[in-house]
Amino acid sequence: MSDRVIVGALGGAFGVQGEVRLKSFCADPLDIADYAPLYTEDGRRFDQIILTGQTKNALTARINAVTTKEEADALKGVQLYADRDRLPPPADDEYYYADLIGLPVFDSGGTRIATVRNVMDHGAGDLLELAAPGSAETVLLPFTREAVPLVDIAAGRIVADPPPGLFPDA
Amino acid sequence: MTRSVWKGPFVDAYVLKKAEAARESGRKDVIKIWSRRSTILPQFVGLTFGVYNGKKHIPVNVSEDMIGQKFGEYSPTRTYYGHAADKKAKRK
Repeated sequence: MSDRVIVGALGGAFGVQGEVRLKSFCADPLDIADYAPLYTEDGRRFDQIILTGQTKNALTARINAVTTKEEADALKGVQLYADRDRLPPPADDEYYYADLIGLPVFDSGGTRIATVRNVMDHGAGDLLELAAPGSAETVLLPFTREAVPLVDIAAGRIVADPPPGLFPDA
Repeated sequence: MTRSVWKGPFVDAYVLKKAEAARESGRKDVIKIWSRRSTILPQFVGLTFGVYNGKKHIPVNVSEDMIGQKFGEYSPTRTYYGHAADKKAKRK
């Protein structure tokens, strides 16, 4: 589990009073303010994020330590990270995408069959995109109790029972 | 213009055949289909279809609230990889 997760990015200045355009990657965009302090890749820390409004494709916000338009413009394109601990604990059988991505996937016999590359939802339930070792192709596995009987975030492993025919050589 | 009610929902015949065969066998295989235009019928609930998106078959677990939609709606042809951030997956 990584210590920090990316939650947004800065889009430069909004107005001339030191406000910034803030692009949120969160499921609910307004939640980004709750995850403060936010960090940049180079370790700069923003303790307070005050959302002031919305503009096209972004939020507007006031960030401590940014008081002028020039300072805000200098931050254009900077990505913002939150401590993983700031995210609220998920409900039963709910898992953060960030926790699932990168986990190794084992079959019921204990053989490693893939790694989780991505998680997606097209409206018919969540899907794990699995990358088999040594293969560029990916396989989509429904994130259900039948297909994924065990998810152990603490131990860093997933046990899968993929339906027949899902893996090309299965 | 909406489809006439007297015609009933459109479903490709091979989809019906495959679904019926899967239901009778009781197996949980992914039923590979290419027919994105077929309507999801009540008898498909509980089955998993692999709906072709032009490149691969996307698994679609059919649930009750999907009845009346088309299979293609659940198998996007373009994939957007966003940031994970605080998004959560629920195991059903």
